[in-house]
Amino acid sequence: MFDFLAEQNASICGGGHLKRREFLQAGVLGAVGLSLPQYLAAKQAGAVRPGHDERACIMIFNLGAPSHIDLWDMKPDAPREIRGPFKPIRTNVPEIDISEILPMHAKIADKFSLVRSCHHDGAAVHDAGWQIMQTGRRFTGGVQTPHAGAVAAKLLGRKSDLPPFVVLPELMGRGGGNLPNGQAGGFLGKAYDPFALMADPSKKDFKVPDLLPPDQIGAARLERRRKMRDIVDGAVKNFEASEDARLLDDNFHAAFRMMTSEQARAAFDLTQEKDSVRERYGMNRFGQCCLLARRLVENGVRFVTLNSFLTVFDQLSWDIHGTKPFISVDQMKDLVAPMYDQGYSALIEDLHERGMLPDTMVTTLSEFGRTPKVNPAGGRDHWPQCFTVSFAGGGVKGGQVVGASDPIGGFPAERPVAPGDVVATIFHSLGLDPQALLEGPGGRPFPLTDFGTAPISELF
Amino acid sequence: MMKYFSIVTAWFLCSASAAEPLSFQRDILPVLSKAGCNTGGCHGALAGKAEFRLSLDGYDPLTDHYNITRETRGRRIEFADPARSLILTKPTAALRHKGGKVLEPGSRDYQLLVDWIKQGAPGPRQDDPVLQRLEISPAKAVLNKGDRSQLKVMAFYSDGVEKEVTPWVRFKSVDATVAEVDDGTGEVSVIGYGEGAVTAWFSSQIVIARVTSPFPQQIAADVFASAPVRNLIDTKVLEQLQQLNLKPSPRSTDEEFVRRAFIDTIGVLPTPEESLAFVGAADPGKRDRLIESLLARPEFVDYWTYRWSDLFLVSGKKLRPEALAAYYGWLRDKVEKNVPWDELVRGVVTAKGSSVENGATNFYAVHQDPETMAENVSQAFMSLSINCAKCHNHPLEKWTNDQYYSFANLFSRVRAKGWGGDARNGDGKRTLYVESRGDLIQPRTGKPQAPAPLDGEPLPTDDKGDRREVLADWLTSPDNPYFTRSITNRVWANFFGRGIVEPVDDLRVSNPASNEPLLAALASFVVENRYDLKALMRLILQSETYQRSSLSLPENRGDSRYFSRYYPRRLMAEVLYDAIAGIVAKPSSFDQITLSDGSTAKTGIYAPGTRALQLKDSAVTSYFLETFGRNEREITCECERSSKPSMVQVLHLSNGDTLNENLSAEGSRVSELLPLPAPELIDRAYLLCLSRAATPAEREPLLALFAQAADGEKRALVEDLFWALMTSREFLFQH
Repeated sequence: MFDFLAEQNASICGGGHLKRREFLQAGVLGAVGLSLPQYLAAKQAGAVRPGHDERACIMIFNLGAPSHIDLWDMKPDAPREIRGPFKPIRTNVPEIDISEILPMHAKIADKFSLVRSCHHDGAAVHDAGWQIMQTGRRFTGGVQTPHAGAVAAKLLGRKSDLPPFVVLPELMGRGGGNLPNGQAGGFLGKAYDPFALMADPSKKDFKVPDLLPPDQIGAARLERRRKMRDIVDGAVKNFEASEDARLLDDNFHAAFRMMTSEQARAAFDLTQEKDSVRERYGMNRFGQCCLLARRLVENGVRFVTLNSFLTVFDQLSWDIHGTKPFISVDQMKDLVAPMYDQGYSALIEDLHERGMLPDTMVTTLSEFGRTPKVNPAGGRDHWPQCFTVSFAGGGVKGGQVVGASDPIGGFPAERPVAPGDVVATIFHSLGLDPQALLEGPGGRPFPLTDFGTAPISELF
Repeated sequence: MMKYFSIVTAWFLCSASAAEPLSFQRDILPVLSKAGCNTGGCHGALAGKAEFRLSLDGYDPLTDHYNITRETRGRRIEFADPARSLILTKPTAALRHKGGKVLEPGSRDYQLLVDWIKQGAPGPRQDDPVLQRLEISPAKAVLNKGDRSQLKVMAFYSDGVEKEVTPWVRFKSVDATVAEVDDGTGEVSVIGYGEGAVTAWFSSQIVIARVTSPFPQQIAADVFASAPVRNLIDTKVLEQLQQLNLKPSPRSTDEEFVRRAFIDTIGVLPTPEESLAFVGAADPGKRDRLIESLLARPEFVDYWTYRWSDLFLVSGKKLRPEALAAYYGWLRDKVEKNVPWDELVRGVVTAKGSSVENGATNFYAVHQDPETMAENVSQAFMSLSINCAKCHNHPLEKWTNDQYYSFANLFSRVRAKGWGGDARNGDGKRTLYVESRGDLIQPRTGKPQAPAPLDGEPLPTDDKGDRREVLADWLTSPDNPYFTRSITNRVWANFFGRGIVEPVDDLRVSNPASNEPLLAALASFVVENRYDLKALMRLILQSETYQRSSLSLPENRGDSRYFSRYYPRRLMAEVLYDAIAGIVAKPSSFDQITLSDGSTAKTGIYAPGTRALQLKDSAVTSYFLETFGRNEREITCECERSSKPSMVQVLHLSNGDTLNENLSAEGSRVSELLPLPAPELIDRAYLLCLSRAATPAEREPLLALFAQAADGEKRALVEDLFWALMTSREFLFQH
């Protein structure tokens, strides 16, 4: 076993940057001792299927709610006011047509699958959509259901020196409501909140804020600081029952691991990528976050939430109401679709080329869909009754369409899929049993997803 | 022709029915509500479902009746054969119904609909009895984990009729960790410990039933009999603790108390001299004297002006600099003079004139249309969120769409000349005045509602006076239950880290207090003391409840809201920033603000050494303050401020420049203390950061480190000592 804080830890293990697999083989699982008892306990409880430890998930959350009819579920035969201005194009899968504004998606349609019959009965406001799609449940009875990634972090633990659950570039902002929006640890506790990058990886001088100590603090001083802090912290017992204080401790442990880890620093270092690769993803925040997500998964992060936008207020997003300050359907084609098309397709292709796709699920979600009828301002409004989500990798067979919507994309016509089913699918890919029980608030058993939901088996 | 036919048929059938006359609003709408027909996920949605639309939860009975009986050629009702009506065949799933089977054929509710159709499907009438109030029983119950209890709800109508309506009530548990409720039967099952509650919604009114489930431990009665009691807070808290079987923790030490009181009252740490003097004093009344001195300090004004600025949205993202300064200045003046809260609120609600001369008018620059004004007055001063009622009846509260527009109509005559609202351009000068005419149209009816405060009497619409005067009377009256409780709860939350009602901005009926008798008693106290906030603060600070230790006992570990001990929490962003700046002796400088679109602008109004708590503006650029969860004042909500730790904060403290740069800088505190011998240095550092001396268990290993250090290393060692102290839990939290 090697000492994390030793300056030369890289060379003890043979020098250079360790690949993820080698790291694991070196017995690091024992060194990540914090999570091993949890992991084993979870395995014993039947919550974790063996043979899935390589699995990871990248959840792309398309904040604002993209219009399913203009992107993935075209209705060329519907009346003009419904089908919108775009035409469908063929893809490399004969059965799937996709919007002309996603041409790069068309070349990789054999890698992803669409679920066109997703729906929910939560309120048609962004906050409710975030809550229900990221946790699989509505917010009721004061119970704060955790994000799927937080559940994964709890049951699977960390795999490396990086935190197991990360959000890029940061958590979403407010949606106008006053509800929790399912992005974090919920009742599992804030220790399972995602680590937020808090920076824009497309910027020239991008680095994780404060990841590294100042130059003059070497490993020896770091260690001494930690020892002194332990001395102080040990003196007062008043924080034993304080959840926030425990969280602070957890944060410190996790921060220490991350900043003393060669691997962690390297994972966040985008200058290690060739320029051509960075440009393939697109030099914008979304594209570079996609690239960073791949690197994080390569380095042992289990779950990455990638928010394509951060707020619907005063900023560009998928929320195409048409009235100022929101953009219209047409403007989406110029301002949003190209960046998304490029970033997503780059991510899928890159994962495929590196052989990572079978073990990495990439899912694209949104709060809801958008109204079948284009509104007078040339936009569409919120529509939770029917929308499209997509899955790729992580055991999913690409090139399929699951479910169908009615001729105007208003309601599911076949195989309706609920948010619980979506989240169950993610858990299934990660090797977690959706009916396994968590310890919920007040100690009540809490299944990962509700009774009556199930993974979308057609995808596997 | 159709009309004639149906009338004849209806009359014919009428004489054939035996049931008593049914009322659409009293008897039929509740059936539709209970079956879920008019909920937001079904026909109550904005667009309805399958071309059939009902008003959400039945706020528009007239239109509902029309849609059921007359719309689409009246095909939903079959008078000749009621059982074949769509209104019955669909919900019973006799015909394909996407909503599933929500009604059982032959059930009581089914029969009610049949009888109603037989009676000719009568609609709402002018003389219909009106639901006046609901009563639930048992309204309060003390039960044990595992117990069950059946709730019963009675409805009282204006015609004197009293009816049990339990089968049509929508039941919901407020806190599913304590008690759950079966929505179908109204049966409560207790599954945890603490204070639980169940809400019962019927016909746009809500009542609440409370369930107390004592913790399983046994606490001897004399523990409570002999517990120290200073004032009414302790009486009420101890009563509840006894009922819940929670043992109160002992009193805090003097070191703990001095630091805590300083931080909670004025947002600064005590200096080493102040801590030593307090701890060393022999005077038994020293805690009271400390409280008085804190309430009189100049930093008190900084701190509380800053706190109330969160409520008033004093932000450079919303106001131009000159107007912003006037807004802040007005508020600060009031805090300095300890103006009673009701007077302060009256002043801002009825403000008129120039935005740079009467700073209070900027409240109406930040909220510029009647609906926004109404929502924010309600949120800020009554902790009530009425936003939902803008479009339909409030689903969680008793406020109707009509009441919303009555309330908003109080602001419809407020006008302004001058600066429009662009926070990047213009001089910010704006003159607020009140017109003598004008009303707000309610979209749903196309007509204005008579202006009226939420629960108050309507004003005559032709009255030419400033309607806000009437509003201010109603708002700040001691009879207004929300106003007093709102401010009481907010002040309480400052000292305890959580309100008696949580969240602090959510005083609705369906969000009960964790200790209702306590809040009620405190509210009375505030009224008796004429809204003097310092009097309330004094009462809180003097109470044994506030002065309890944060050390948990096995017999109160499960408590997180009943105040059996003090709850540690992370320091507020601004307090932390100032504390660090004070300790490292490096004055901060703020010279930039960040606007809504991300652009920045220079600001020269803050001299070097300005403390974060003295900032007039939440838009001042500061990575530290943002990362540590400052309230960005986008909306009126305490929820915008976060005190939860995060890894990003930890990384910043550990590696960022706030600590490191300032510790290693020349002329910093480290330089100042360097010449001292190790034992004194250590003690001084502890006093500065933690307001206490090091314990022997701490001093020993630290002295060892100092002894081991090489000559040139002392500086680094002292920096590391301060680093260790300032990243410790004890420093970052108040406890």
